[in-house]
Amino acid sequence: MSESTIFTGSFILYIGSAFFYLAFLYSKRKTMARTGFVLALLGLVLHSLALVLRTIESGHAPFTNMYESLSFLAWATVLAYLVIEWKFQAPKPGAYLLLIVVALMALASSPLMPKDATPLVPALQSYWLWLHVSVTLLGEAFFAVAFVTSIMYLRAEAREKAGTAPKGSLTAERLDSISYRAVSVGFPLFTLGGLVFGMVWAYKAWGTYWSWDPKEVWSLITWFVFALYLHTRIVMGWKGRRSAAIAIIGFLAALFTYFGVNYLLAGLHSYA
Amino acid sequence: MLKAVKNFFTSIKVAIVLLILLIAASVLGTLIPQGRSAQEYLVRYGRLGGLFQMLQFTRLYQSFWYITLLILISLNIIVCTLVRLSPKLRRVFRPKCDLDPKSIQVLKVKDKFRIPMAPAAAVEAVKAELGRRHYRVHGQAAGNRQCFLARKRLLGLFGSDVVHVGLLIILAGGIISGLAGVRGSLTLSEGQTLPVPQAGFSVRLDRFITDLYPDGNVKDWKSELTVIEGDRPVLKKSVEVNHPLSYKGFVFYQSGYGSDWEKPELEVWLKKKSDPGYLKTIRLEVGRPVPVEGEDITLTVSRFLPDFILDEKNQPSTRSLDLNNPAALIRAERAGTELFSGWIFAKFPDFAQMHQAAESEFKAELKDVRAPQYSVIQTAKDPGVSLIWVGCAALMLGLFLAFYWPPREIRLVLEDGQGKMEISAGGITAKSREAFQTEFESIMTALRKTP
Repeated sequence: MSESTIFTGSFILYIGSAFFYLAFLYSKRKTMARTGFVLALLGLVLHSLALVLRTIESGHAPFTNMYESLSFLAWATVLAYLVIEWKFQAPKPGAYLLLIVVALMALASSPLMPKDATPLVPALQSYWLWLHVSVTLLGEAFFAVAFVTSIMYLRAEAREKAGTAPKGSLTAERLDSISYRAVSVGFPLFTLGGLVFGMVWAYKAWGTYWSWDPKEVWSLITWFVFALYLHTRIVMGWKGRRSAAIAIIGFLAALFTYFGVNYLLAGLHSYA
Repeated sequence: MLKAVKNFFTSIKVAIVLLILLIAASVLGTLIPQGRSAQEYLVRYGRLGGLFQMLQFTRLYQSFWYITLLILISLNIIVCTLVRLSPKLRRVFRPKCDLDPKSIQVLKVKDKFRIPMAPAAAVEAVKAELGRRHYRVHGQAAGNRQCFLARKRLLGLFGSDVVHVGLLIILAGGIISGLAGVRGSLTLSEGQTLPVPQAGFSVRLDRFITDLYPDGNVKDWKSELTVIEGDRPVLKKSVEVNHPLSYKGFVFYQSGYGSDWEKPELEVWLKKKSDPGYLKTIRLEVGRPVPVEGEDITLTVSRFLPDFILDEKNQPSTRSLDLNNPAALIRAERAGTELFSGWIFAKFPDFAQMHQAAESEFKAELKDVRAPQYSVIQTAKDPGVSLIWVGCAALMLGLFLAFYWPPREIRLVLEDGQGKMEISAGGITAKSREAFQTEFESIMTALRKTP
């Protein structure tokens, strides 16, 4: 089987998983959520296989163009979500996260994204490509989880205030703590992959560890926003709505670093 | 006065405001292209362009006010870290426990039970059980009560401080890089030696190689460099993109390449109009007459252009340094008199419109053009860079300590009562309460079971 067939297989499994997680939201039946989890896990296994095959075929890390990096981001998001769900036994965010994953996979499969494995330009031929991109995207995947749980928090909190929260639903407090835990995994990963490994690689490739390139600045902005999240929370004791709002802004900044900079701002990071 | 300054810099609100200002400023700097010419800003923003330049928005990250923001936030970090350090150190090095069991009742994680043991044996059992789990135990006794403070992972207390020190080291490295860093660029042809600016040694380019993929895309550029001290070669290395050469604090990077069209090697075919079988291949350089074998004529190329164009004054010139329309100005002479002269074009062999000084049966075609390649090597000496890596290591270590190495503390009060020891125990941790609770409960179970 070829890489693209397996990729499609994992895509279908993710769609199935999203479907069951949605069904869980409406039916509240635990088996639905469990099926969603299993399908996502199977999808992740197939997707991993597709990434490995892609690496073997192209001979380089599977995130050198938009198709590859979207596919990897989807993979990382599924992984991050499954870890968080397993840890907190809270399957409700699954529906929204799997929908995001399905959207990423759809974007990756769209005809707009060239799928050919192109040979690597000299600047990207480095093992730092592996370290820098994979760790950064994994960090961003945890930010995506925090983004979803923060939005869910805002809704849950409003409902609890109005007294319309359905019985047995995930409490706002728990959502707040899940968001914090996701950030506390994502933040060190993003710091390591995005900033530290990025600086090391930049120094090796361009001779300067920092050049105020828009992508660098935007990853610094993302980092500042999450630093703000942590300081307001830990030192000032902010929780709940304001915390959730900062986590949402932080993920949007990460998203802009990942997508927006490439399409809207020109810079050194012209390849991906 | 001093107190006001201290209050300003220890205020978390000030830190938050500074952070928000830094975010806003950084965003602005990515919206306005940085470091362009005044002309470009005028075209792009009109009258605003001047204002942007005056406010240093066009060199924002090097601007006075952005650097001021960075300094203010650094001061905030320094003052906050120092202020919080001494109570933390006191907590670590001067452990105190409270003999009153009520101090434990307020804790979230707690337990209370009796074990049928003599006081000395009970203390030993408690110490042994906590020691087995890597707790460091400090005790104190008064009357029939003893209290213990058992703690582990105390380094976690300093996670945020290590992060902040790491950030300060990174900023210090950045300042040193900015003030003492030297950057330069060497353009070397094969065989050429150039002194490295401010270094006291030279480098020679031995060979420049461009590797291609089968589809013609560039796979790699390699410059084989030799470092020369005085006149002695001391180091040889092939420099590639992502694989720089380091020598005495200077680092050499492959940054560009090109062809030196000032010194082309040309291949010209000489044909005879009367004889279709006649063909002479002549290799020419610019400015050097070459006699044609078997004929009494010499050929000279006086000028070469890689991308021939007639400029607005109708003069030959080159549009670019790419080999789009290579052309050579050639001249043939017989015994000092010109036979023909004019431009010949590699891509348009029939286009040549020769100025014929005399009726000539010869026709020249430009067949092949080569030029020595030159390689652009960036040189950098950055004395700040080692601090950056030290700072990064501290940053990551601190993040690990802050998030995943939370200190754990168990407080115990043992009270002797009618042959049994009454134990009150409580625990505190800042993070991962569930894991701590599990550990706490298993310690308590183990203590209960002690005979």
